[in-house]
Amino acid sequence: MDTTPTITATEARLLLDRADRLSRSAHNATRWPYITFILALGVATSMGTFAMALTTGDAFGLAYFATLAVMFSLIIFFMLSIQGRSAFSHSRRWTGYIASWFVTYAAAISVVIWAHGEVVPAAITSGLILVAAFVSAAREARA
Amino acid sequence: MTATEQHPRHRLDELLQNPVRFSIVAALDRAGTLGFKEVRDAVEVTDSALSKQVSSLESAGYVAVGKSFAGKMPRTSLTLTREGRAAWKAHLATLREIAGEPGR
Repeated sequence: MDTTPTITATEARLLLDRADRLSRSAHNATRWPYITFILALGVATSMGTFAMALTTGDAFGLAYFATLAVMFSLIIFFMLSIQGRSAFSHSRRWTGYIASWFVTYAAAISVVIWAHGEVVPAAITSGLILVAAFVSAAREARA
Repeated sequence: MTATEQHPRHRLDELLQNPVRFSIVAALDRAGTLGFKEVRDAVEVTDSALSKQVSSLESAGYVAVGKSFAGKMPRTSLTLTREGRAAWKAHLATLREIAGEPGR
């Protein structure tokens, strides 16, 4: 005897709609701090490293401290805003986003240290930070 | 081949036909990883009901349960595994077939 419950086309459609709604609402409710953080971090560090690479003296000091201040403010904002919904911060996907930002940031800092004043390498590495952050944010927003 | 063998409903994942388990996996589909409380709020069930269904999904290898501590507070995270995602995609594809919208 067939014991598999029958499911109609209407019921299947309702289940698909429910799955889509749940999936979107669970994602939207928890992801905005992560997307905001990676975007803001990308923009701040991209502009900061570019400014540091091309300036000297007081202007360099200002760019350096402003970048650090913005980075720490963003980290504090992020830690506060993910309280109670930090599970994603331990995930492989988030680790990948942060790793890609870090690699490009390290490259930009290398230019600041070893190729100070050279516009093209500074523009490329700082641009790469922006690209990595935008791609990560877009990927997460569209997940 | 008999008529019953041909109907796509036979290909539906038995584990995912339970409404709570279906909702848990749906909530994890886009997010990938969520905290226990986040899933509970999304699915709108009690902690004990969620624990019971998560255990079934974990036993089947569909969901990985992570434990950590934030200070002295225990934190539980739920992650949809590769097997879980594959089963979920197949389940949804079968539902689409039944609904008559295979390309959705």
